[in-house]
Amino acid sequence: MSTIFNRTIPHLILLVYVAAVLVPFAFVILSSMKESNIDIAERPFGLPETWVLDNYVTAWVKAKINVYFFNSVYLSVTSSMAGVLLAAACAFALTRMKFKRVSNWLYQIVLLGMLIPGNVLFIAQYILVKDLGILNTHWSLFFPYTAGAVPLSVLLIAAFMRTIPNELEEAAIMDGLSAIGLFARIIIPITMPALVTVFIVNFLGAWNEYLLANFFISKDALRTLPTGMVGFRDAFQTNYALICTGIVYSVLPVIVLYAFLQKQIIEGVTAGSLKG
Amino acid sequence: MRSSLRNPYIYILFVVPTLGLYALFFFYPMLTSVGYGFTDWNGLEETNFIGFANFQQAFADSDFWNAVRNNMVFILFSVGVQVPLIVFFAILISQVRRFQSFYKTTVFVPSILSTAVIGILWGFMYDPEVGIINQFLGLFGVETIYWLADSNWALPAVLVTNAWQWMGFYIVLVLAAILSLPKEINEAASIDGAGGFRRAWYITVPLIKPIISVIVMLSIAGAMRVVDIVLVMTKGGPVGATDVMASYMVNRAIRYGDYGYGTALSIMIFAIALILTALYQLTFGKMRERVEF
Repeated sequence: MSTIFNRTIPHLILLVYVAAVLVPFAFVILSSMKESNIDIAERPFGLPETWVLDNYVTAWVKAKINVYFFNSVYLSVTSSMAGVLLAAACAFALTRMKFKRVSNWLYQIVLLGMLIPGNVLFIAQYILVKDLGILNTHWSLFFPYTAGAVPLSVLLIAAFMRTIPNELEEAAIMDGLSAIGLFARIIIPITMPALVTVFIVNFLGAWNEYLLANFFISKDALRTLPTGMVGFRDAFQTNYALICTGIVYSVLPVIVLYAFLQKQIIEGVTAGSLKG
Repeated sequence: MRSSLRNPYIYILFVVPTLGLYALFFFYPMLTSVGYGFTDWNGLEETNFIGFANFQQAFADSDFWNAVRNNMVFILFSVGVQVPLIVFFAILISQVRRFQSFYKTTVFVPSILSTAVIGILWGFMYDPEVGIINQFLGLFGVETIYWLADSNWALPAVLVTNAWQWMGFYIVLVLAAILSLPKEINEAASIDGAGGFRRAWYITVPLIKPIISVIVMLSIAGAMRVVDIVLVMTKGGPVGATDVMASYMVNRAIRYGDYGYGTALSIMIFAIALILTALYQLTFGKMRERVEF
């Protein structure tokens, strides 16, 4: 009796926590298919009186969620791709090429960047993109996202590259590969697990970023999902069903990604914070 | 064989694009920040060097100190309330066999979502008429609470949302540390007749002190950075009740165009972060020394 009791208690407590995590999502999904606030308010967890899937079409087309969505997709993908490649090239030069002294200095300088909380640079970055004439273009987000990811990416990729045995590259060079060939044909494939991790971390960071996106972009057609969603909410203040639809659209891709890559995502995100 | 890996041009080719970008968007803003902080630049009138006037103004700015105080509430809440709960839940998950990975995967979900979207989602839940929170409390006869519009409730409401977003992330960190402990220790204690709670308190917690110290540090850093959730949910209102340092700084700079003063505030924020780091090193940081088994 007491063992059954002892075994169920932890599950009961944990289920309360799991419920606290999942209930908001259930509430949002149910609400997104309801016709009006009255239906939401009267029976928050009842099934919709009439199933309204129009919200999904309306939100996608009229409310331009599709525009925000693709902006977010391509900004996050390009900036994290660029970030991974740049960081990999840099980490390769720092760890595998024979300029030990310089490399050590450069590495320390890169790590220094991890000490500075990003918010602190906000105004100076704002002025910088304004001076560069790229305010209100996607470049104003692409560059800070890519640059901001450099320290952690270099750190994680360099740590991985240090573990590659020397003999491997010696053999490759004997076979006539140049440094560039060695990097592209040998090092990149071997480093792939670390690159994937770094890509995921950078992707999620860019996908979710709000502060810069909110203040650097004011053209509606250029907005990303987080800022577009906030504008969307402010515009449809009272239409909760439609807002919930928007939430579903922005949460779903991440959840799907998570369903397939949960192990890598958990590893990547937590490794990122611990090394930092 | 040596030539290629010793070719300085190739080295430069590999290093310069990355470091150049990094220098332009990280180091250059750092340097200009220090410069702007000592000017009265507002984007309109002529800019003058005004020495420490901005910092004097900041020290006398009660709205800024209100924001600092709110940030401290964030820190106290995450270290004092969230961290014990995180450790508790992590230990709980580590002790169950069934569904362990289900619990782990589920609690982690909120931390990969966009803060902006979470702010919108919780704004909906807090809605006085439609939201489920008031409806739930209504079952117990609690009268409608205007969570985000009431200056007594707004900050707690934002704190809960922030905790909801981040606790799972830390739980997974702590859980990984617990699962990497040698199993024999717990088994031995169990054979000696120690119950679950005593094992957790006397054995697990002391062994995971280093990771607890790390999550305390991450929580402090996270609480210092908090801004998105505030901008999305309350914009710092009502009347500054939820303003944090970063939201106040951003508003001063962008809404009112006080670039010089805003930058001075960001230098102050950096200084406060340094002081907190030093305090942390003197207290929790000491727990990071390796525990031997």
